[in-house]
Amino acid sequence: MRLRAEVTNSNLLLRIVQSIDKLTKSAILKLTPDKLHIIVITDMDSGLQLWSDIVVEALFEDYQIESNFNNEIYLEFNIDNLQRALRSTQGGGALGVTMKLVKKLGGLPVLSLIIRSQSATGREITLCQDVPVRLLSAEQMDAIREPLVPEGQIHIMMPPLNNVRSIAERMKGMGDRVAVSANRNGEMNVRVANDLVDITTYFRGLETMSYDTTTQETSTDGGGGTGRLSSETFTAVVDMKNFLKFLQSHHVAPKNVMCCISEHHALIIYVYIGSAGYTGAAAMHDSSCGSLTYFIPVRQI
Amino acid sequence: MTAVQGTLEPEHILFRAKLANVRPLVNMLKTISFRPRARCSINSDGLVFTVEEAQCLVAQVFFRSELFTTFSYDEQLAKHLNNQEQVGFETNDSQDDEASDMTQIVLPLDNLIECLTLFYGPSGTSSGNSQSGSHTTSSLLNAGNPGDLRGATTAVIGFNGLGADFELMLEERGTISMCRLATFMPEPPVDLKFSHVPITQQLIIRSEWLRDAFNELDPTSEAVSISIARTEPHFRISTIGDSGSTDMTYSNSERILDSFFCNEDQENQYKLSLILKSKQALAMSDKTKIRINQRGFLSFQFMVPTAADMSFVNFIYAPLISADEPAAADAAAARA
Repeated sequence: MRLRAEVTNSNLLLRIVQSIDKLTKSAILKLTPDKLHIIVITDMDSGLQLWSDIVVEALFEDYQIESNFNNEIYLEFNIDNLQRALRSTQGGGALGVTMKLVKKLGGLPVLSLIIRSQSATGREITLCQDVPVRLLSAEQMDAIREPLVPEGQIHIMMPPLNNVRSIAERMKGMGDRVAVSANRNGEMNVRVANDLVDITTYFRGLETMSYDTTTQETSTDGGGGTGRLSSETFTAVVDMKNFLKFLQSHHVAPKNVMCCISEHHALIIYVYIGSAGYTGAAAMHDSSCGSLTYFIPVRQI
Repeated sequence: MTAVQGTLEPEHILFRAKLANVRPLVNMLKTISFRPRARCSINSDGLVFTVEEAQCLVAQVFFRSELFTTFSYDEQLAKHLNNQEQVGFETNDSQDDEASDMTQIVLPLDNLIECLTLFYGPSGTSSGNSQSGSHTTSSLLNAGNPGDLRGATTAVIGFNGLGADFELMLEERGTISMCRLATFMPEPPVDLKFSHVPITQQLIIRSEWLRDAFNELDPTSEAVSISIARTEPHFRISTIGDSGSTDMTYSNSERILDSFFCNEDQENQYKLSLILKSKQALAMSDKTKIRINQRGFLSFQFMVPTAADMSFVNFIYAPLISADEPAAADAAAARA
């Protein structure tokens, strides 16, 4: 088993790990010859899950991976440890970062980040950050599967995450559950209510994906013809805590965020990462290099 | 005279007003937000939010109708609804007619402020509002300041009668939020009857002097003593606490006191922790009018610049020991 790479975009890797910080204590890192996957499972049955992938070219150069299982490697790591290690790679004077999978004395595997930087006086300093990891076998990895969720009724592009986040932060004190609704008119509503206060925020002019014409409702006004938008609203009620956890993905400065509502089952949110981590005009020329996919289960009353 | 009915909605609206920028209202409400619920009184003159604590502090924020972009209040409908209710609304002896066209409800004040600040930005920081208390106060409230309007939330506020929700429709840059707050029937208000008894002492002081004084006061002291006299020192604030005593005196000089009137010498004590609750209102004001009546009740009237005019925040305190009566009997009389 061998893993070695030059980390050329440590900033993006850090921001991805920042997005998953506080979700839970540990996460799984699955490395293949093409992609890096981070998987976070908070609670098998009722919690949020995050499945992400990013092409290795967006993060590494001179990427070498070898193993007995299709040249794939599976690791479990502590999120906080990796975040702290990656933070040391930031800052002026850093010349390069190498990532290696190493067996330390005593046989314990670590993901080692070797950071070469230049001090103020011009001398080269090497800093080594070791993140202890647990190796998973192919069988163990195989048992971890993406959750099966029935097809959603609607796919809608979300408004800028920072807008949603600032409002959600204000609304969080008012209830432990939030209702996310959307319709094919490009409208999305976010609602929180308790005994004393009821707030609904309306976002308009959002893009919806024309998803599946065979499931068009027959009960719309005047009967549906193709091209006639339905104003039927689909709603998913989820834990406010989970909604806020997903909003942490603002760290990756996503190009696009698509929200899929599967009524009575889950909210599935696709956060697309541009390799430069920019949004706006810069992102237009920059095809997405990866995504974070959040599965947020609907609250069972 | 019935206020202008909007072409807004077909049915009768009791109260509806539009605010171009919520910031002035938010800043005023924050000065009395030390209690979770506030009484909101609405009539054609505007809105008054009142909180009370421990039956010896009443604080009020006056938000005049002129501060709104549009303001419509149906007095006839209010009178009609009040008659229907026949609940013990406060009967103010000298203003019987006026009282019946006023609408009074109790609102969750902290939730109201949270709703108004919905678009302010994450984690309690408001976009662009980073001034400290010692800066010029006008920039905090002046809605005409272009810097303030950037990213400003507009609000339409409405209420349709006792039992209905208090509604806020907020808008900022195309995003709209509808907030509905539960309303409660008001209980008989705590009326400290400040104006029922002659004012014996009055002065107007620049708020910065008072801010300095408040900062010097020893917080370990239970009481703060305020003394106004016809002889030097004319105005004195002092505390006695665990760490010693503090004593601030002010002479009747033009630089410090804008006006001074004293009919009889008086020294009264007030609960320091309650006096300090007025700090935020003090911080926002240019000047403070201090009045003490014959029974030793104290009124701070903070003059806060808003738009082109002045707004007021009032704090009224019952003394710890009244000038002429024991505290218990006095408090009971205040409640009568």
